[in-house]
Amino acid sequence: MKNKSAVAVIAALSALISGGLYLLFTRFPTMPLAASAQAAHVDSAWNGLLIVEGVIYALVMGFLLYCVFAFRAKDRREQGEKFDRSRGRFVEVGWLAVSIALTLSLAALGAHELRELIKDPTADIDIEVRASQFSWEFYYPQFKTYGAKLYMEKGKRHRLILSSKDVVHAFWVPEFRIKQDAVPGKAIPMILTPTKLGEYTLLCNQLCGRDHYNMLATVEVLEHEDFESNMKAEF
Amino acid sequence: MTEFFASLAAGVVVFVAGYLGLRGPLGPQGACVLAYLASLLAVLGVVGGAKAMRSYALGREPEEKHGVARYFSFDVDHKVVGIQYTAAAVVIFLVGGLLALTMRLELARHGLQYLTPEQYVTVMSLHGITMVVVALIATAGGLGNFVVPLQIGARDMAFPRLNALSFWLLPPAVLLLLASPFLGGLDFGWTAIAPLSTQGTTIGKQMFVLAFVTAGFSSIFGGVNFVATVLTMRAPGMGWNVLLYQHLFWYYSHPAVYIMILPAFGAVLEIIPVYARKPLFAYKLVAGALMTITALSFIVWAHHMFTSGMWMLLKLPFMVNTELISIPTGVVFLAVMGTLWKAKLRLDSPMLWALAMVANFLIGGLTGIPLADAPTDLHLHDTWFIVAHFHFTIMGGAVFGFFAGFHHWFPKMTGKRLNETLAKTQCALMFVGFNAVFIPLFWLGNHGMRRHVADFPEWMDPVQTFASLAALVVGSSVIVFSYNVLTSLRRGEEAGMNPWEALTLEWKAASPPPHGNFKTPPVVSGEPYDYGVEA
Repeated sequence: MKNKSAVAVIAALSALISGGLYLLFTRFPTMPLAASAQAAHVDSAWNGLLIVEGVIYALVMGFLLYCVFAFRAKDRREQGEKFDRSRGRFVEVGWLAVSIALTLSLAALGAHELRELIKDPTADIDIEVRASQFSWEFYYPQFKTYGAKLYMEKGKRHRLILSSKDVVHAFWVPEFRIKQDAVPGKAIPMILTPTKLGEYTLLCNQLCGRDHYNMLATVEVLEHEDFESNMKAEF
Repeated sequence: MTEFFASLAAGVVVFVAGYLGLRGPLGPQGACVLAYLASLLAVLGVVGGAKAMRSYALGREPEEKHGVARYFSFDVDHKVVGIQYTAAAVVIFLVGGLLALTMRLELARHGLQYLTPEQYVTVMSLHGITMVVVALIATAGGLGNFVVPLQIGARDMAFPRLNALSFWLLPPAVLLLLASPFLGGLDFGWTAIAPLSTQGTTIGKQMFVLAFVTAGFSSIFGGVNFVATVLTMRAPGMGWNVLLYQHLFWYYSHPAVYIMILPAFGAVLEIIPVYARKPLFAYKLVAGALMTITALSFIVWAHHMFTSGMWMLLKLPFMVNTELISIPTGVVFLAVMGTLWKAKLRLDSPMLWALAMVANFLIGGLTGIPLADAPTDLHLHDTWFIVAHFHFTIMGGAVFGFFAGFHHWFPKMTGKRLNETLAKTQCALMFVGFNAVFIPLFWLGNHGMRRHVADFPEWMDPVQTFASLAALVVGSSVIVFSYNVLTSLRRGEEAGMNPWEALTLEWKAASPPPHGNFKTPPVVSGEPYDYGVEA
């Protein structure tokens, strides 16, 4: 009898917590604007985790809060009861089974989105991204032009070939989501497909020295015609 | 000349050691250790080690030697050391082989023919340990020393004198082993497993231990020398994996975070049953879970390197291995929840800290999964999301767990009780302040706040200012803490032996426990977490 009402109270508390989380995450979106095809895969993995983990958090916190309020000793002479070991065993096995199933499904979702991100190495436009302390340089081999601003064409697959002249840097545009280190002695490819026109900020995301905080560049995503004319103009 | 003085000095020490051993309080065991160390130095002196060290101290280049004699001297050329090692390995192999034949001789027929049982065990033990030495040194020490520096285009090993020393520690060790049959023999095999090996002692056993330590130093010196040589002495143009440092760093540093959190789990799980007045739920399962975390912690390190440019397909196993850790971590929560269920909770300050730790670590643990998950980590890596995550595990987990333990054991350590009101105030301030600082950081990280930078876009100002103000709340909690500890030490209430009515043995000692801990040895009469009454 008493157990049933406890379950009801815990369920209500958990619903309250998950409702609160839902409002919080809608009022303050957990991710910035998604402006690349790759961002969709990252966000899909993220949303899966957010939902499952939000529910786990609500259930565990609901349970803990209920216990802290419902099971307080009224005076210090009160003692708890030793529990029934056979029922304890049942709870242990059930808990393990559920956590294994959840972990494996989340890993499967992650593996699926990871595969989506890396399965296709082909690209329409190659851009060599050369990092050095504390600036970025972009070379477009198909157009044989250089620049300090990264131009990309909307909807096209770009292969960014990252390299570094000195220490490890990292390429990150939050709106594009995926991130890649630029490592001296290596040329690391990264496929990016911008999907929204506009200007973004490229941030160096690996501590590279004194002016790391300021190692920024502008990324501009353009329509086909604008991109082409930009490439042909001298700069 | 140096050799002469070294041997003379060693002779004097051997004589004094022997004299002290026979007449003084040192006893024959101590005397033999001293005599051995003296002879070791003498050997090194005679072969030229002292001279080599002196030339090093004076900043001179090692002297180049010629002829056969160099192979019997403290020569720092890696080619000589390699040949010395190879020759020594062959000689020791012959000795070990003769010992094996001796064993076969006795074993050819049943019954005892040539050896007494004690002699057989000694011969068998020596065969084992000498052959182990051969297997360890022959290829690495001999061929490796000769070939590796040449193969990587280096002038020599990184530390040529250390290299010579690591060889020259070996002959004394082996001679010592071979002397043991004449000094009482060995009866514990080459593994020297205790307690057999610590039961009774002969000089022969002492020799085994000394030889073992000497050979151990020899191989450690050799090992570090090889690592340093291969890492630093490669010819120009011989590239190395630029990611190796990151792999090595995380191979150590990921298990290290569990070294931080597992003791805090231990403290919290130790504390909660005391204040729940119930046994710890799923005790064996959670013990197994902590060991599982320890084992898994060694195969997850590259989840720190998803953006590093390592081989793409490695991301999958490291992602799955890391996410598996959430299963044993979940068991820790099961143990806490099962213990709280239908408990009779006493919300004393240690319990509040323990519960705060659990609430923090729930966030810390859950936010670890998006970082282990390769697709989401590509966005979150090196942002404030990870900064917030590890503060929730290490500050929210390890530090709050420490404070739980601190409040629980403070009466035992000092004999005084902390002021409970102040302790609970500190806990509340730190819990609220800590969460207020770090929860917004997750959000900032997702929206572009990089770690390791001093500046950020203006639109982040409201959130950043809020976090800075909240940090002052955390700071104020530490002032409350310091005040509480200082005043409680001076005029705190006497704690008595067992203020929390806990069952573990430390609460059967006085507070603070006197020298020697217990007046009479405590008698264990039940399980350590067996709180509560029969249902």
